[in-house]
Amino acid sequence: MEDEFIPDNGLLPGIEKTPAENDPDATEEIKGTGNSFYQRILDNEKVIRVLRPLSMGLLILLIIASLFAFFINAIPAIQEIPRVVKIVIENSDELKKDAVYKKQIAQIKRDVQRLSRKYNSYTSGQSYLVINTTDNLFCLYRNKKLVREGHCSTGSYKLLKTEEGRSWTFKTPKGRFWIQGKTTNPYWKKPDWAFVEEGLPIPPQDHYSRYEYGVLGEYALALGDGYLIHGTIYKRFLGMPVTHGCVRLNDEDLKVIFNTLSIGSKVYIF
Amino acid sequence: METEKEYTSADRKYKIIVWIVIVLCFLIYYSIMTLLAPAKKYKELKNIYGFRQDEKKPVDERIFTDSTYLSLLKEKSFLQSKVAMAESDSIYLTIDMPDSTVNLEINGVVVHKADIKKMKVSRMLSAKNDYVILSMLSNPFTISKSIASIEKEPLMIRMAPKDTSEFKPDIIPDTADYEPVNYILEMDNGTRLFIYQEGKLRSGDGIRLFIFNLRYRLINAGNTFLRVVTFRVPDYQPFIKLRIPRTDAKIIYRALPEQGQVAVYF
Repeated sequence: MEDEFIPDNGLLPGIEKTPAENDPDATEEIKGTGNSFYQRILDNEKVIRVLRPLSMGLLILLIIASLFAFFINAIPAIQEIPRVVKIVIENSDELKKDAVYKKQIAQIKRDVQRLSRKYNSYTSGQSYLVINTTDNLFCLYRNKKLVREGHCSTGSYKLLKTEEGRSWTFKTPKGRFWIQGKTTNPYWKKPDWAFVEEGLPIPPQDHYSRYEYGVLGEYALALGDGYLIHGTIYKRFLGMPVTHGCVRLNDEDLKVIFNTLSIGSKVYIF
Repeated sequence: METEKEYTSADRKYKIIVWIVIVLCFLIYYSIMTLLAPAKKYKELKNIYGFRQDEKKPVDERIFTDSTYLSLLKEKSFLQSKVAMAESDSIYLTIDMPDSTVNLEINGVVVHKADIKKMKVSRMLSAKNDYVILSMLSNPFTISKSIASIEKEPLMIRMAPKDTSEFKPDIIPDTADYEPVNYILEMDNGTRLFIYQEGKLRSGDGIRLFIFNLRYRLINAGNTFLRVVTFRVPDYQPFIKLRIPRTDAKIIYRALPEQGQVAVYF
């Protein structure tokens, strides 16, 4: 077995020490370069004059940011730490055999069943219509099943004001309604705002200019307070909030809804 | 001259240390006061919703440690809330945590259903088997205040034309208009419901949510600060945070009345 040759300089063969490594004085000089650089910065009053307020400013900013984070983020998180509600679930067998316990469980089960029955009874088995005014969509239900859905147009949320101080808000009312009347080939008796909106003088109540035929489609279903579900000649606006409060539908959907809903049927608008 | 300079430097150091100690003491005091807040809130809830023994019909209190009873009580509480709201003639919200759904209802009829994508509940409310919390949940929450990134009713004001020459037909509404939907509903019982749109649909959604939250947090931090500096325990408001699709969040916010009601099932 031949011994491995290690040269005098302690390095593997072929690797030479750099001049600096060979000369201890040169090494000191290199180490000293860094220190002297910082020393030179510290000795330079101009630099110090800039650096000191800058570092102080940064420190103050850091403190403010930390305090801000403490009050805004840490405090709500700290409030979630304590466990104030201590729940002990024992499920004692002894209790389960107790007659009073059995009676109470039976009572609460009866209550749950009664409430459940009552709650389910609210959803009518009859036909009803649901109108979504945010997305301008409708859903028609029969026997608690969806039978048709599609686009409609609802109130534009336009607030019309006159210089005399009169105002009208064109929005579709929300909540539960029911069909109060059904009409075929309806006509529109224009209210005052229809004239005000176009800058026309308001005619007397039964003036012929108030009556418009063929603009509401073939059918109309009354919801009360003058609000109708009707057809439209502006079919390109379906799915948009453009009406004065009524609900507009296309001809096919209107026909199905007219034939499905009867007087008294519920309409839910949200 | 040298002595005077040294004295000034030492004095400054001393002052800094004193200030640091004062600030740290205040922060510790502040933290302790805020830590006391949940316990104070629970005590208040216990006074309102806690169990009271009826002398005529005494109840074995061990029943409140029975999971079967508590599970039935939870179901009953939710149904009670829903029935109470269905009796009213208003639009309301039901949150079903186990099913991960939120329902918009009118008179007991579900008119809109949305999936909850993410949820987070404060520690106090997550104690869902506690009698006090269950009793609190058996009453619907009523919205007392709402803060939102969208308008409840997007009203457009338009002055009527003086004559036909001034009349301009309506412009087709810009349905492509985009705004992030985030809102906070503060309830009458001190609970807060945070509803955020799911995901960042457009660039800037994240920063807008951050600003929206920051504004709300600043108001709350101000209130807490005022209470703490006047040596009062701050208010603790348990929360429910939900992330749901943007369209659903918008529908729910626009549909709920100003003082709408909410029922929660854990």
